[in-house]
Amino acid sequence: MIEARKPPIRQTGPVAWARRNLFGGIADTIVTLVGGALLVWALYSLLTWVFTGAHWEQVWNNLKLFAVYRFPTHLLWRPFTMVALVMFLLGIGAAGDKYESLIVRGVFRWFMYAAGALAVVGLVFWPSVRFGWLAVALAGMAGLGLGTVVPSVRRLLPWLWGASVVVAFLLLYGVFEDGPLVRVSTRLWGGFLLTLVLSVVGIVVSFPLGILLALGRRSDLPVIKVACTAFIEVVRGAPLITWLFIASLLVPLLLGLSDPDSISALARSMVAVTLFSAAYMAENVRGGLQAVPRGQVEAARALGLSGWQTTLLIVLPQALRAVIPAIVGQAIGLFKDTSLVFIVGLFDFFNVADVVANQPASLLVPGGIRLELSLFLAVVYWFFAYRMSAASRQLETQLGVGVR
Amino acid sequence: MSAETIQRTALGSQQRIPFYRNVRTIGVLAQVVFAVVLVAAAYVVYHNVTTALRSANLPSDFGFLDQRAGIPLAETPIRYTGENSYGRAFLIGVLNTLKVALVGVAFATVLGVVIGVMRLSRNFLMRGFATVYVETLRNTPLAVQIIFWYTAFLTPLPPRILNAVRLPGGALFSNQGVALPWPYPSYHFGAWVPYLVAAVAIGAAVWWLRRRQLRLADRPGNAFGPGLLAALVVAVAGYLLVGKGSLPSGAATAFRETSGVVTVFRDLNGDGVKQFLEPFIPFAAVTARVAEGGLEVQTQNLVESRRYVYGRFYFPPFQESEFEEVEVTFADPEAAAESDLAIHFFQFPSRGVVYRDRDGDGAWDQGEELDPDAPSPRGFSAAVRLSFTGFERTLVANRNGEARIPRFATTFAASESRGANVSPAQLFAPPAAAGGGEDEEEPLQAEFTIQTSRPLVWSKPTIPISNYDGGVRLSTNYLALLIALVVYTASFIAEIVRAGLLAVPNGQREAAKALGLSDSQAFRFVIFPQAMRVILPPLISQFLNLTKNSSLAPLAAYSELFAISIIIANQTGATVPVTLMIIAAYLTISLLFALVLNIVNARMALVER
Repeated sequence: MIEARKPPIRQTGPVAWARRNLFGGIADTIVTLVGGALLVWALYSLLTWVFTGAHWEQVWNNLKLFAVYRFPTHLLWRPFTMVALVMFLLGIGAAGDKYESLIVRGVFRWFMYAAGALAVVGLVFWPSVRFGWLAVALAGMAGLGLGTVVPSVRRLLPWLWGASVVVAFLLLYGVFEDGPLVRVSTRLWGGFLLTLVLSVVGIVVSFPLGILLALGRRSDLPVIKVACTAFIEVVRGAPLITWLFIASLLVPLLLGLSDPDSISALARSMVAVTLFSAAYMAENVRGGLQAVPRGQVEAARALGLSGWQTTLLIVLPQALRAVIPAIVGQAIGLFKDTSLVFIVGLFDFFNVADVVANQPASLLVPGGIRLELSLFLAVVYWFFAYRMSAASRQLETQLGVGVR
Repeated sequence: MSAETIQRTALGSQQRIPFYRNVRTIGVLAQVVFAVVLVAAAYVVYHNVTTALRSANLPSDFGFLDQRAGIPLAETPIRYTGENSYGRAFLIGVLNTLKVALVGVAFATVLGVVIGVMRLSRNFLMRGFATVYVETLRNTPLAVQIIFWYTAFLTPLPPRILNAVRLPGGALFSNQGVALPWPYPSYHFGAWVPYLVAAVAIGAAVWWLRRRQLRLADRPGNAFGPGLLAALVVAVAGYLLVGKGSLPSGAATAFRETSGVVTVFRDLNGDGVKQFLEPFIPFAAVTARVAEGGLEVQTQNLVESRRYVYGRFYFPPFQESEFEEVEVTFADPEAAAESDLAIHFFQFPSRGVVYRDRDGDGAWDQGEELDPDAPSPRGFSAAVRLSFTGFERTLVANRNGEARIPRFATTFAASESRGANVSPAQLFAPPAAAGGGEDEEEPLQAEFTIQTSRPLVWSKPTIPISNYDGGVRLSTNYLALLIALVVYTASFIAEIVRAGLLAVPNGQREAAKALGLSDSQAFRFVIFPQAMRVILPPLISQFLNLTKNSSLAPLAAYSELFAISIIIANQTGATVPVTLMIIAAYLTISLLFALVLNIVNARMALVER
């Protein structure tokens, strides 16, 4: 008689998973045990510090500074309207089903979570902006609803985004000397608002500039080619912080302005950020241009399209589509790099932390609160950058880049 | 098609295209217009800048580079004093950039490869850790990370300088940074130089011969190893042969007891005093002996690791073996006995706490250092005195021929003259200078013997007063910047390494297995070399990024190229020349990296055939 054999080792379920992924061999087991112990210890100390040791009062008390710095409190409805507008448009975009809207959807969903959380916190704790975040969340929902119910709105999106830039500028900067749309000096701008303004302006304006530079670099005309190549390589050769510094010193000199203050620090750093970003954008676009097969150009010329038509209608759309992930990556990089405007004395999100760290109440805490502040900054920056990169990765999978 | 049409077409082709529709003419014209606009713009800019500079009376040429800088710099890889020029200060900036960039590149590569390989590990924990590492660090600004590390060092999470940790090998670690033992060329180094030259020559010869031999035999092999080995053998043999030389003629020491500094110099006129023109001897080893003396400090209440610590006293870190006899007592024993105070040592004789033994168990318990009668909780205030006989310590002078011993005193002023509240700045002031009876003062009996040494002298760091002396010091600023750059860049390198490893087709792995290679052999000989081809180009551009990112040094108060340039621009007002120098420096670095990248790419392409 054949003896009954033992059942085979399970290949599914948590135990099998642990055996495969944690205890694959002797070395693996040792690594798991030692590493696990270290990890638990590190997590435990971090969490103990975060929940019992750290002093978060100063961060909590200064959230307005972090958000908008010295933007007048009674005019806070203006940035809120702007954010609501952006969420509304994002919502419309997220309703789409094309793959381009995937990235929008990824970003939109998480921004909605954030807005929802802030709405709840706001309702409970922040009387001055009690309904601001609620309005933002509702605007997002309205956008999503509108985009789903009336899909034809989505075709208007490019125009809507264009218009929103103008509206956002009017809202932030103001129009009149008096009244509800009173002008707000850029010296009062700051915090996360400034970080967003700088990175959005940097990426949006550098986009067409970068395309021009990339086309110039691939041009057959030697003078233009040399000039574009020189610009790109020189700008990329030195770090952004030096360009910011140089812009803050030299822009008034270059323009021959007698009064250096007639051009604001914000405008100077925008020039630096945009030109710097344009040089990197040019290299990204060039990569895309090189990826377009020659046959496409030849076919277009054979169809009788002119040089401009070939570039605008055939080459660029394909080239840009290929480099969307790279451009998102650059946007993330720029978003992080705007923290360098501390060098020209702008109080962006990063630099506000320095202001808060030097407040008398912060100095009373033994050892200061810079550790808490840097952790807080890191988490906020991380949230936005990570959402963007996760969305871009999704898009990459969708496009099939990297899978062969 | 009618004959007429054909004729017209033929005619048309013979006609010349009008020049304004000729592509080539348009191209040339466009370029001319572009060039003219560019030149005009450049002229306007030039005109504006020169006018503005002239009207503001700011320098517009590089003449300021020879002027005295007077910038105090903490970290100087080459000799620098406030008397040196702006040019030299800028050079120090460049060297400091290279110092952080090269070391950073090396560590970032190692860490990046480790994390990248971990991301592909079978082990879930390692994989998860690496993923979290990459996703967290890549997506937070480097500026925030620099601030984090800098704060983590300065918030006394690691110990203060008074409480420095002695690591194995003689390294010291505190919130002032790390001090490592370091070899320096002594006065005897010159004798070794011929051997070093010979070592390089012989090494190169062996390398060349071996390579030729391998090429003739048409065998693969490594010619670099034998060459390096030959060079090393010659160099080491030379080092041993040279041995210890005699001291330079007239080598002498001068001691300033107020600062505890001993200067090693060549006493040309034999008067035993350091004259202005008498040269000092850098990196000389000196044995200091103090027959008898002491130190006195006041207890302190401090914040350490964000906690208040009370009633602590700190002497500069001594080892018991440095003394013949040493004793730590209260400066005023009667007063201490009256209030039942006692001393508990954390490390004899340097660190301890003053307490009152309230529970009578004869040992210090947490809380007993607090004075219950004080209005707000604080430790007992008492002066503590260290007295010794026979102190001996071997020091190595720095590049200015100076070494330090603690500022010992022979006699002590009456303890009443020292107030209960001693500021930290006064803490290590020589007690004799702190006031009190002048008649009791007598000079400290310190003897210094200069040691003969081999071509290299091993300098170990000490803490004579309240900062490091000797060895090589990596400041907190440097370490914070370095760690931030390494940890940040490693997250990018890890992704590059992962992509490179994934780019190797799976068939290669299987083929290696089929040939009977072990896992590690397959990795070392099959997978990694092929992955390197994908990894290297983006890796080198990450190296360049790290170098450029070192310009965030002002956040950690580290003086590299950019930080020093800002100071120079602010002091001289020479903004335009300084900006040109910054751009030129970074472009040179970028070009060097581009050159390396091109060479690597060319070699890779050759290997591929």
